[in-house]
Amino acid sequence: MNYKKSKLLYYGSKLLIFIVSVFVLSLLVFYVSRLAPGDPLLSYYGERVEKMSVEEKNIAREKLGLNEPIYIQYGKWLKGAVQGDFGISYKYKQDVLEVISQRALNTLILGGIGYILIFLGALALGIICAWNEDKWIDKLLCKLGTFSCCIPEFWYSLLLILIFCVSLRWLPSSGAYSIGKSGDIGDRILHLILPMAVVLLNHPWYYGYMVRNKLLDETRADYVLLGKSKGQSKAKIMFAHCLRNIMPSYISLMAISVPHVIGGTYIAETVFAYPGLGTLSYESAKFADYNMLMVLCIMTGIVVIFFNMIGQIINERIDPRIRGMESLEGLEVSES
Amino acid sequence: MAVSLLKVENLSHSFKLTKKLSIMAVKNVSFDIRHGEILGLVGESGSGKSTIARCVMNIYKNQAGRIIFDGIDCTDKAEFKAGKKKLQRERQLIFQDNASSLNQRMKVCDIIAEPMRIHHIKPKHGTYLDEAAFQLKYVGMDESYLNKYPSELSGGQRQRVAIARAVSMEPKLLVADEPIASLDVSIQAQIINLFKHLRAEHGFSILFIAHDLSMVRYLCDRVGVMYRGNLVELAATEELYLNPLHPYTKALMSAIPIPDPILEKSRKRIDFDNISYSPSGKFTEVLPGHFVLN
Amino acid sequence: MSDNELFSIVGIRENEKTAVSENKRKESFPIISVIVLSVLCLLCLFAGLISTKDPSYLDLLNYNKPPNSEFLFGTDTLGRDIFSCIWHGGRISIFIGFFATAISTFIAIVYGSISGMAPKWLDGILMRFTEILLSVPELLLIIFIQAILGPANVLSISVVIGLTSWCGIAKVVRTEVRQLREAEYVLASRSMGGGFFHLMSQHLAPNFVSSIMFMVVMNIRGAIVAESTLSFMGMGLPLNIVSWGSMLSLAEKALMTKSWWIILIPGAFLVCLLMCVTNIGNYLRKSVNRGESYL
Repeated sequence: MNYKKSKLLYYGSKLLIFIVSVFVLSLLVFYVSRLAPGDPLLSYYGERVEKMSVEEKNIAREKLGLNEPIYIQYGKWLKGAVQGDFGISYKYKQDVLEVISQRALNTLILGGIGYILIFLGALALGIICAWNEDKWIDKLLCKLGTFSCCIPEFWYSLLLILIFCVSLRWLPSSGAYSIGKSGDIGDRILHLILPMAVVLLNHPWYYGYMVRNKLLDETRADYVLLGKSKGQSKAKIMFAHCLRNIMPSYISLMAISVPHVIGGTYIAETVFAYPGLGTLSYESAKFADYNMLMVLCIMTGIVVIFFNMIGQIINERIDPRIRGMESLEGLEVSES
Repeated sequence: MAVSLLKVENLSHSFKLTKKLSIMAVKNVSFDIRHGEILGLVGESGSGKSTIARCVMNIYKNQAGRIIFDGIDCTDKAEFKAGKKKLQRERQLIFQDNASSLNQRMKVCDIIAEPMRIHHIKPKHGTYLDEAAFQLKYVGMDESYLNKYPSELSGGQRQRVAIARAVSMEPKLLVADEPIASLDVSIQAQIINLFKHLRAEHGFSILFIAHDLSMVRYLCDRVGVMYRGNLVELAATEELYLNPLHPYTKALMSAIPIPDPILEKSRKRIDFDNISYSPSGKFTEVLPGHFVLN
Repeated sequence: MSDNELFSIVGIRENEKTAVSENKRKESFPIISVIVLSVLCLLCLFAGLISTKDPSYLDLLNYNKPPNSEFLFGTDTLGRDIFSCIWHGGRISIFIGFFATAISTFIAIVYGSISGMAPKWLDGILMRFTEILLSVPELLLIIFIQAILGPANVLSISVVIGLTSWCGIAKVVRTEVRQLREAEYVLASRSMGGGFFHLMSQHLAPNFVSSIMFMVVMNIRGAIVAESTLSFMGMGLPLNIVSWGSMLSLAEKALMTKSWWIILIPGAFLVCLLMCVTNIGNYLRKSVNRGESYL
């Protein structure tokens, strides 16, 4: 088979899986959102529904297509969605995408920087622990990690606010910037410190622990003995061989961790009233803005599925065993 | 000539690697096993011996060819269903890896009694425990092992437990898939003797799969040689060892070490050109009872 | 012929028994965690006997009081006695943890076993489906479903948490079942005629239970965290149903008045409970028996 063609086929099939996954996800979320026992009109018109007459309600239903079966409603929604029209947010009386795009950057800053730091921090923690296996620093970090994992994010946030905002008055407790200072980068960083601290204090431990265990398993492999007998240094074996061998599993671990990090970011945002997607989803849940909440769920899902896919592709590219499958065609085999 | 217990005709089996590629593990193999006979199958790794064993046990779905056991055509769905109980009782399998063929979380007594429990057979010797004790004794272990877990036993002992489990159903056919390959030499001899003893006592037929040519010569009545999924030669043991006809068999036989240093020095290896050789042709009876593929 | 003679060739040579030394490096039994957890559970169970006040009584004269001799842990901004609330609230929090986990574990085992035993194409579809479910952060999904279902009560919130948190365990069950079903003892049992339920109960379940135990316990932790987070945000249990999460939902007011006890005390109990559960979970994790490092 032509190599280029097979590569095209490979990415094509990945893309197809991605699209189908997103489609199923949106279908699922759409159906769930229509399960609402309350009047769906409520999510469009809010309190005003109570003042509407029966006829007015019927007209409204007809206009919104709520009398049609769900799959037709979904079809219409999907048709709009493909063209970038996800409907209107009841609370903001604006296009959903517009509201989201106003907030997305803030979440991207918090979550993106947080994610990179978690990625590096976990690796560093894992290496430190594995390097000093069973010494006091390893034990201390493991214990600290277990303890830190047990503290729910929201309580972490409350604790930090209590210490740094209420008692010490060092840092602001809410928002992304002080009033009238939206262009001041220093002020924005000040506001970012506490939410970022929560994200960073909660997540890297577990992944670091996984890295440590994987590394410790690697150091038991025979090739380490070989390297040592050749006179290679401990650092060289650790970084050039062991670390390289655990990279594929670390990448898939980090791909799986995306929804957890996003979830954590959302909670931190909510507690610190940081205007990102997390606060937005919290508000839309509070004010029964189902349309907004649905789109947020789907968008978050798409990001996660995308990252999983990237993780898979990177893994399959760097794993020699999977790469090797492509050369299987040279084997003595018969077409069935 | 006695009637065959098991008749395999033109058996083929292939494994899928990817959607388009598949490997033919067994091609067009035919043989039979008579009542009370031990048939050996030898061949290098990957030549399809285990696949045959699993096909015979109906673990793999049959793809082509026929397997007739004691008058029941196992490849025929209706007949297989009708005779399922009998088939499950009268054919038993012994695996190579004795560690993974026993559930680590079951005690020896439960392992031995498992087939009886499945088939709701009333044990002959009172309770299931007594029956398990009897079977264990039968394969040369005492009752104190009944309450142990497989991980507490040695490899040879585990293999004995696996044999006891198979024998407890009093099968007509034992399929032993390299039962001695994972054991050390002295234990191998014990297990081989156990097989001989069981055959003499019960008259089981055994399909015995192995690498070790000397062991096969000692134990089996007839031997088949597998190569790349083909059965290349099948003959009575001494006939095959003294008068190999197929080039692959010749090469194989020349590789057997001779336990005599002087003779061993003069032993000549016959090279077998495995690259240019591709097995083809018909499986024909050249001498009485001696089949060769050519 | 006696038995001994019969087996003179066949029998084995009696080996001297060597004692199997048990030097498996196992984590020591978390005795402190078990004791603390059982004491907590007992105290919550007998909340009525211990609490000095009615947890739902709003004492308008004594609101926002710091801990003193009458109100051991102080009162919250509504004038409820925190000491009494802790025990009554713990009951709800722990119950939700266990009930939600029971639901999710049940779904996970059924789903995972089906997927593990299913042919490849069906297994692929089922696993892809869990990946899609896992792609939405759990809490966002819970908030979404809870917002749609309307005001929560103890049962509905447990069901929602249970319904959204089974994917992880199901994946492990599926992987284990898939590995085990190729194991030779399963093949042997199958060729002996063991049916699906025989295989499941005798061979598969005992083997995967140990590997999901850790995750099940961690699921209890996850459920308690989910409930408290949700209630804290004001989307879970309402204020009048006392749980540790709903007690913390008063935090915002407490921060303004610097009433640290309203935040710290329920939170400390929560963390303490989670810590115990985690330690027990870690103990249940398959103990890794590593040799010496070569490095």
